[in-house]
Amino acid sequence: MATAVVARPVARPQARARDEEVLVWPDLVFVEFIAAMVFTITLFLLAFLVNAPLLDQANADVTPNPSKAPWYLLNLQELLLHMNAAMAGVIIPTIWLGILAAFPYFDRETEGQGKWFGTERSVRITSVSAIVGIVGTWVLILWDSGKGAYLLNKWFGFSGGDKLRFLENMRAIQSQLPWPEWSRKITYLPFNLKILSSDAPGGPTQFQHLDFPGWLVEQGIPIAALVGLPALLIYSLWKMGWVLTRRDALLALFSGFVGAYGILTLVGTAFRGPGQELVFPWQLNVSEGIPGEE
Amino acid sequence: MAVESPTKPTFADKLYDKMFHNYVWKSIFRTGYPNTPRNQMLVVATNVFLHLHPTRIHRTHVKITHTYCLGGLSFFMFLGLTVTGILLMFYYVPSVDRAYLDIQNIQTNVQFGQLMRNMHRWMAHAMVILVFLHMMRVFYTGAYKPPREFNWVVGVILLVLTFLLSFTGYLLPWDQLAFWAITVGTNIAGSAPVLGPKSRFWLLGGLQVGPDALIRFYTLHVIGLPLLAAIFMAIHFWRIRRDGGLARPL
Ligand code: HEM
Repeated sequence: MATAVVARPVARPQARARDEEVLVWPDLVFVEFIAAMVFTITLFLLAFLVNAPLLDQANADVTPNPSKAPWYLLNLQELLLHMNAAMAGVIIPTIWLGILAAFPYFDRETEGQGKWFGTERSVRITSVSAIVGIVGTWVLILWDSGKGAYLLNKWFGFSGGDKLRFLENMRAIQSQLPWPEWSRKITYLPFNLKILSSDAPGGPTQFQHLDFPGWLVEQGIPIAALVGLPALLIYSLWKMGWVLTRRDALLALFSGFVGAYGILTLVGTAFRGPGQELVFPWQLNVSEGIPGEE
Repeated sequence: MAVESPTKPTFADKLYDKMFHNYVWKSIFRTGYPNTPRNQMLVVATNVFLHLHPTRIHRTHVKITHTYCLGGLSFFMFLGLTVTGILLMFYYVPSVDRAYLDIQNIQTNVQFGQLMRNMHRWMAHAMVILVFLHMMRVFYTGAYKPPREFNWVVGVILLVLTFLLSFTGYLLPWDQLAFWAITVGTNIAGSAPVLGPKSRFWLLGGLQVGPDALIRFYTLHVIGLPLLAAIFMAIHFWRIRRDGGLARPL
């Protein structure tokens, strides 16, 4: 008997149920036509009513305050306020896109495919994770901007005093704790490694030093939070008996991401005024900048 | 069953015959007007634009609420942006001396110029939003599962290309908004360890947003990235068909 090598069924077209099928013309073409028309008309109306912005001609000497990236990058610009720039701007988004692309290789079950929220408990997992993402991100932003401490004081008369000052925001952990001097200059490489150093090459041989409190605030805590909080969410939902499959875990992860991403974009767009201060949207007056001033 | 006796063709029938069964029409469309199942399938199979579709699809997939047409609309935005973009290219020169004035000129001196610019701008925003929503719909319908793994990856690439297309276009008006947004954006890219400063330099053609950056962004925006996006969209659509149409419950 000939044994054929059974390859993994790459594309497995599902069995076709002819009686369940409709003709593309007219059924689908009609729907597509209507959708295209609705969008064409709406966009024409919008284009008639609202003009695309055009400010003064570009001028490298006049810095508007705040200067903002296009809105769909403001989530990253917001992240940038809370941690090391390379991490927020490049490393995290790159890793996240990698994780996103790897979704189908992690969750290979075909259960629940092709149907909105096709698996059990998926609506629950989605809503709870999205809410956690939204609320959690807001809370973290309020805390790190110092508004958390301010509001606690204003609304509840609560003040931590000097002892708890280091909890006011992230930077306070670096500046308000009595870090010993050595921890601010830990030698971890007894020679100079060019790609790690921004100093001009050819200078005196330097050791690579680590400013531990600075590292903790800019990278350590953010990494712990970005890995730990989603993990905590999934772990809690697992403990509650909601997350049982890989699909469930991805539902929690993705929904939490959408919530957090939405809030980061919203805050970056509508709540960051001059100096990237956290303000209400109606206090967002952009200063056009004064020539020669940064 | 009663045998139907042929009735005399009405005026409408004759008109129909003249319009859709004449030599010229048939040379273009091969089929008559798609009013019978046979003709309806033929028109989808033989028309270059319609043949992106299969001739029949599963009932659940024509329900608006299954896809909300989000992928199709993303593609529609891409087409609309191509049309309005070409019209804008007639008037726009990507040099620091002219770019801003050209945009002003488009708005004030060109017939429908302001409208074209507005359309291009709002469609670009719409596309970013639609592509993101499309990704959400694919995720929540579990449509990335086997055998559609790779098409999800192609989708992620398309998402990045959509962001890049929008980002490179943002600089072109050469106003304060454009200049500083790109300065902030490329500074973010430049902060990457090891590769950051190099890639920023490569993107800007210098250390600052200037004439070289403008021509690079322009070239990427009008030819490089659209070409890449079109290639990946072709793969995306091809794979949808190869993977057996849209996902549905087993
Ligand atoms: C320029 C961007 C894109 C265009 C023009 C596009 C276009 C389309 C179209 C027309 C469909 C057919 C069904 C529908 O309309 O929903 C589709 C399906 C699909 N898209 Fe996209 N897409 C884009 C981006 C993405 C992204 C960002 C992802 C995911 C990360 C993605 C993943 C998929 C998958 C997996 C399918 C198959 C869905 C199913 O079987 O139900 N696409 N795409």
